[in-house]
Amino acid sequence: MRKEDTVKLISAEGFEFIIHKEAAMVSQTIRNMLTSPGSFAETQHGEVTFPEISTTILEKICKYFYWNLQFASGKETEFHIEPELTLELMMAANYLHT
Amino acid sequence: MYIRVKRNKTTYFIQCEPTETVLDIKQKLHVLIDQPVDDQRLILFSSGHVLEDVKTLADQKVENDSVVALTLRKDDNEFEDVNIARPTDFYQSRDPEGGSW
Repeated sequence: MRKEDTVKLISAEGFEFIIHKEAAMVSQTIRNMLTSPGSFAETQHGEVTFPEISTTILEKICKYFYWNLQFASGKETEFHIEPELTLELMMAANYLHT
Repeated sequence: MYIRVKRNKTTYFIQCEPTETVLDIKQKLHVLIDQPVDDQRLILFSSGHVLEDVKTLADQKVENDSVVALTLRKDDNEFEDVNIARPTDFYQSRDPEGGSW
């Protein structure tokens, strides 16, 4: 794994999650941010800040990305979601097109 | 599978296999954080065990989605203490009259 193959997602509280680009691109919104032409800061540094998404939710989303990749490659497991997270998670998923 | 390597406010999602050794993980981290493998110490968060380089993840009960704390060697040659910041965002600091959405 090379450093260029990762992206840094930053939560509302400034917590950082470093994940594979491949995983992040499960989200259509992040995919667009990272692959759009032009010299956006997001594309250049591989850093995306989400001032609207709390740390707990962002971590859950990162877990989902990896789960999604595994699922797509045939490893079908369940993805557990705590009931108290569902509403915020759905709003974030809507925003991220995930 | 993946593990979550945490230090301060940063989490690294590292893709790996149960058959990989802890040294393999440290080499992956080296690429990301520019710290030599000798200056890294990994600790399984749930048990507090310091992970040994030569053993595999499976040997040391590191499973998918495990949280592993990363500590680095300080200037005085000692390793720093485990320090993982936790978000206190959830519910506590939220405006009860409706959030920032």
